[in-house]
Amino acid sequence: MTPLGKNEALDRHALVMACWLAAAMPAAILFEYGFGRGGTPYILAGFAAILAGFVAHVIVNVVYGTGFSPRELGLGLVIYGLALVLFVVLSLVSASFAAHNFLPLSIGFITTGAVVVFYLITRYGARQAFAAFDVIRDFRSRSPGDHI
Amino acid sequence: MTPLLVSVLGIVAVLGLYLATISGRHTQQPGDFVDAGLALPPWVTIFAGAGITLASLSLPDHLLLLATFGLQYNQVAVGLICIALCAAITQKRVWLAARLTSLRTLGDLLGDYFGSTTLRIYLLLVLFLFSIPFAAMCLSQAGALVSAATANDVPSGLAIWSIAFVLFLCSVIGGWRGIAYLVAAQSLLVLALMVFFGGFTGITLDKLAFAVNGIGTASGVLPDKIPGVIQFSAGIGKELPAGGLWTTFAGLTFALSLGGIAISPGFSFLGVTSAPRRGLAFGQVWMIAGLAAGTLILIGPVLAAEIAASGSLTAFTTRLATLDPMVAVGFTLLLVASSQIAVAFFAGSGASVCTIELTSRYIIPGMDQRSTRFAARVTLALVYGAVAAVASFAPLGATIFSSLTLSLSMQLLPAVLGLCWMRWISRSGVLAGLIVGSLCVVFTESFGLVLFERLFVDLPWGRWPLSVHSAGWGLATNFTACLLVSLFTRSGAERDRRDRLHDAFEESQPARNGSQAATTAKWALTLLWAFFALGPGAILGNTFFSEPIFAGTVVAPGVPSLLIWQVLFWFVGVFIVWWLAYQGRLSVIDERPSHGIVLVPEVNPLLEPVSTPWIARLLDRVTGR
Repeated sequence: MTPLGKNEALDRHALVMACWLAAAMPAAILFEYGFGRGGTPYILAGFAAILAGFVAHVIVNVVYGTGFSPRELGLGLVIYGLALVLFVVLSLVSASFAAHNFLPLSIGFITTGAVVVFYLITRYGARQAFAAFDVIRDFRSRSPGDHI
Repeated sequence: MTPLLVSVLGIVAVLGLYLATISGRHTQQPGDFVDAGLALPPWVTIFAGAGITLASLSLPDHLLLLATFGLQYNQVAVGLICIALCAAITQKRVWLAARLTSLRTLGDLLGDYFGSTTLRIYLLLVLFLFSIPFAAMCLSQAGALVSAATANDVPSGLAIWSIAFVLFLCSVIGGWRGIAYLVAAQSLLVLALMVFFGGFTGITLDKLAFAVNGIGTASGVLPDKIPGVIQFSAGIGKELPAGGLWTTFAGLTFALSLGGIAISPGFSFLGVTSAPRRGLAFGQVWMIAGLAAGTLILIGPVLAAEIAASGSLTAFTTRLATLDPMVAVGFTLLLVASSQIAVAFFAGSGASVCTIELTSRYIIPGMDQRSTRFAARVTLALVYGAVAAVASFAPLGATIFSSLTLSLSMQLLPAVLGLCWMRWISRSGVLAGLIVGSLCVVFTESFGLVLFERLFVDLPWGRWPLSVHSAGWGLATNFTACLLVSLFTRSGAERDRRDRLHDAFEESQPARNGSQAATTAKWALTLLWAFFALGPGAILGNTFFSEPIFAGTVVAPGVPSLLIWQVLFWFVGVFIVWWLAYQGRLSVIDERPSHGIVLVPEVNPLLEPVSTPWIARLLDRVTGR
């Protein structure tokens, strides 16, 4: 991977934002309708829209010959984590929410996670994909004098 | 619904401001503010092209007209392929000419190529029509949509000035690159929402009006048939054609007027300032002819039938809100975003082109880069102020003026064809054609008719007489005049500079014609397609699949025969554009030209007279006494 020039990095970033905007709006409509009258199929369709955004992001990476930037990775993990926590809390607090939405949301979260893991394995191989998240080895490899 | 809609529009506005800010921060030279350093990425051209095409058609208007006239108006969606064809024929050559001559706008190119200041002024007039009345019409529509969706919680005026202010901020911060990013991102959003709402309404609504009753048009309008090849009516305002307005000639000539988008100063500027290789071809074939035309042909009738069944656009939005407010917000966003694309693009490109062609050239020549950027910002402020004021206080005037825009832009076709392909088209021919063509356009549109009838006498014809669009009247007379005059003046005084450019084309990237048979096949197929898809042959589509000629029976294909005809010729149209753009290499740029040419040689003051001839003659006459 060759590092991108200033303009190319900007172009890539703008394209990524455009792709996520186009995927997020239909996803928001589908989730909102799914939590209301629509039910399971629409919630699953909402996850499909998010996965479409992810696939578009991967295609952008391939076109520009880059991977996910650390910021993108971080933002993605934070959003995924927050959504997961919100889902768990709502399921514990509201019985009707859990009764109506637990199954489709579980399937959606698991599928989204599985697609990301599948991408990582096919892109980097199993060992490298694991190494990217192997924080313990990362800490151990630091010399004692290193500052965090 | 009001807080939700305002929040969603706010999120889109914040994204636009973010894109503008990062592009403003990364600008390397102050001069790049005006033209993005001629290095817009291909994806911007690809997405923005399709979005601008949809926005120029005015999506809310398109859906309403489709609900009023039924499938006969869907011919206009097939006509989007004309924009792709027009772009395929001209865009690459204009890009090449700009790189060879180091000029940046279509006005400069045509002005220098033909050596005509009149052409420059004409282009500035077209630019003005796109930048102010046309953009104002779109902005006024966006304001009306927001006002209707929020039950006037957000008044139309407030919506207009808010949208204009946000778009102005994006433009003034990000410059041309920021505008292009914003337009491309919103175009992608509009395309995604169009596809989404096609599927969503199809699945969610209990009984699709289109499947049950078709499009419920008013009485006397044929909902699923074209009302004849041509109708000898005096025109709108005098006599309405029977069965509906959209005869095959109306569809064909309206489609021709859409070609005016592809050769408009703004769209050309987008092409010239990009750095594409295959971006132009991809945008023309798959995005404009493929996705944009396809979504309008297939999804437009479904949405229009629901709008017709609901009674109005607002009623349909309210019906969507009963499903879920977010659905209605999404639909409103689709329509508002399409209007925003038109406003941002035409106002932004207008300001940039105006800075290059007018301010830098005539008003303050020799500005440095910082001054140029400042001038562009001032122009942006003036343009947006004018657009918002016209949209708020004179929306009818904006509509009347903007009806001239596409047709007058299309009158530039002979000049652009001369620049790109036909070196024998002369300045006199182009100017004669422009004068005759523009007069025909003005006097077959409401602007000219109202003006003339108020000042003088009633004319015997109305708008679009014989159900032929004003662009059709203009082009027919324009081409006739241009060809006749060019025949006699083809080797005029400016022939040398015309030859210089075309020789440079041949050197850098010659036209790849292939064998004689392939060339003939290519253009014959294009003409055949135009005849059957949009021209008189389209009348066959009325009953071709429901009453097959040789079977002698009536069959029920499930959808109107005309729609199947339109889908079929959409596929063929995409294939033709692909063949021309990729296989014919009309839109594939192989390599950047390695050398430059000078169209207008530097004047040597020792060899040229100090004063212009007519001044010299006048002085002689005075001093001789």
